Amino acid sequence: MAITIKSSDEQLILVREELCFEKEANAKLFADLIVARNELSFQKDEQGKRAAELGIANIELAFENGEKEKRAIELGIANVELIFQNNEKEKRAAELGIANLELAFQNDEKEQRAIELGIANKELVFQNEEKEKRAAELIIANKELLAFTYISSHDLQEPLRKIQMFSSVILTDEANKLSETGKYNIERIQLAAKRMQQLINDLLDFSRITTTELTFEKTELYTIIEDVIAELKDTILEKQATIDAADLGSANVIAFQFRQLIYNLISNALKFSKPALPSHIIIKSRVVKGTHLDKELGSLEREYFHLTIKDNGIGFDGQFKERIFGVFQQLHNKEMFGGTGIGLAIVKKIVENHNGSITASSELGRGATFDIHIPIRELL
Amino acid sequence: MVYIQAMIPRHLNILLADDDIDDCLFFKTVVGSFPLPTVLSYVHDGEQLMKLLKESIAILPHILFLDLNMPRKNGFECLTEIKHDDKLKALPVIMYSTSSERDLTDRLYDNGAYHFIRKPSDFLQFKKVVHYSLTLIMQGNSVQGTRNNFILNVENNLIRPEAF
Repeated sequence: MAITIKSSDEQLILVREELCFEKEANAKLFADLIVARNELSFQKDEQGKRAAELGIANIELAFENGEKEKRAIELGIANVELIFQNNEKEKRAAELGIANLELAFQNDEKEQRAIELGIANKELVFQNEEKEKRAAELIIANKELLAFTYISSHDLQEPLRKIQMFSSVILTDEANKLSETGKYNIERIQLAAKRMQQLINDLLDFSRITTTELTFEKTELYTIIEDVIAELKDTILEKQATIDAADLGSANVIAFQFRQLIYNLISNALKFSKPALPSHIIIKSRVVKGTHLDKELGSLEREYFHLTIKDNGIGFDGQFKERIFGVFQQLHNKEMFGGTGIGLAIVKKIVENHNGSITASSELGRGATFDIHIPIRELL
Repeated sequence: MVYIQAMIPRHLNILLADDDIDDCLFFKTVVGSFPLPTVLSYVHDGEQLMKLLKESIAILPHILFLDLNMPRKNGFECLTEIKHDDKLKALPVIMYSTSSERDLTDRLYDNGAYHFIRKPSDFLQFKKVVHYSLTLIMQGNSVQGTRNNFILNVENNLIRPEAF
């Protein structure tokens, strides 16, 4: 620098001026520094605040990140699961495809079956109609048959009666003109005619059992038995028979038919008694539930009136237990025991008229037991 | 009864209404063997019977044997007509038929028949029954009895053997 020597004062003034200027400049600088420092401090604050915010945000982000990682793991698991499920579904879909085919096939089968059933059904309906027609025809035919039996039995009796009458006129009025053979032959005519009459009468009784109107009434059984015993008193005496029948109670039955039933069963027992043994007939009754019976005999809930007639007679071979109830069925020689074999058929018919059932059990030589079950009915 | 007793002395007038000639013959044979004077007349259907009865009110038979099954007018119709006719209703009518079913005989009893005889299949028994019924009339007994004694046969105790 080129120093110019000036007066000291001047120099001093100059220096002072210089100094002052510098001072001003310094002050200005200082002020600027302060501003700058303020600015810096502010910025620093701001940066601090920002840093704090960033810290928080960072923590937040770290947390979110953790969450996302967890989620990612979960999603990973879920994904595995989905893949597994997917596989399963594919497998299932394949299976369903097969099943579907199977079903389609079965469906076809079923449609075919349905068509077949439809045809079978039509056939059944037709058969049913035919059967109904047939049943109606049978009812008519049956009625006609019964009427026929009844009428023809009546009309058959007339010529038969004449045969009997003329032969007995001959035997009465012409007896001394006949040879022994002639008499014998006429007696045989009478026997044959008598047997035929018996058959006709029995047939008539049998058809009457089915043709007459059926009225149920409350009936004291002992009264019926007493009545029958009175009617059979000669045979009872002859067979030295004892009949035990106590506390039989009453039942709703077709009275006159039930009387016939009791009559037929008691006279049956008397007829087939053992020659050397006084006949003993035991008649018992009780009320039983259907459960005591074979299924075939009746329904389980109903109550049945159970009547037992047991004898100590000659009995019969068990194999005939059904056959004895047939019309004109006999197990014994008619010359020895007589009868036409319709008594028990009538008994069965009567039991059927009461919607009941009858069974017989026996062994040869050991008596016979007849069991009758009749559903108990309330009178309307 | 008065009516019968007045007629008793000489002959027993019997009228038989039956279309069956065999039965008429049997009847004739039986009546012929009866040890008392009898007069037996026949008619063969219901219309004939009613005509005859109405024409002979003054000399009615002592007893009428009436078959149930006859042509033109049956025995039941004749019986009803007789019992509804004041001039005829005292006439004892014995119904006579093959069938002796309970409801039939009950109806006949209710309609005033005197007795019922089942058409016979045995000559001796028939004889006894007819003789018994004629004896009743001879004894002046011509009024309907009880229902229990309505049917005459040898089985019931009505027929006393000593009567023959």
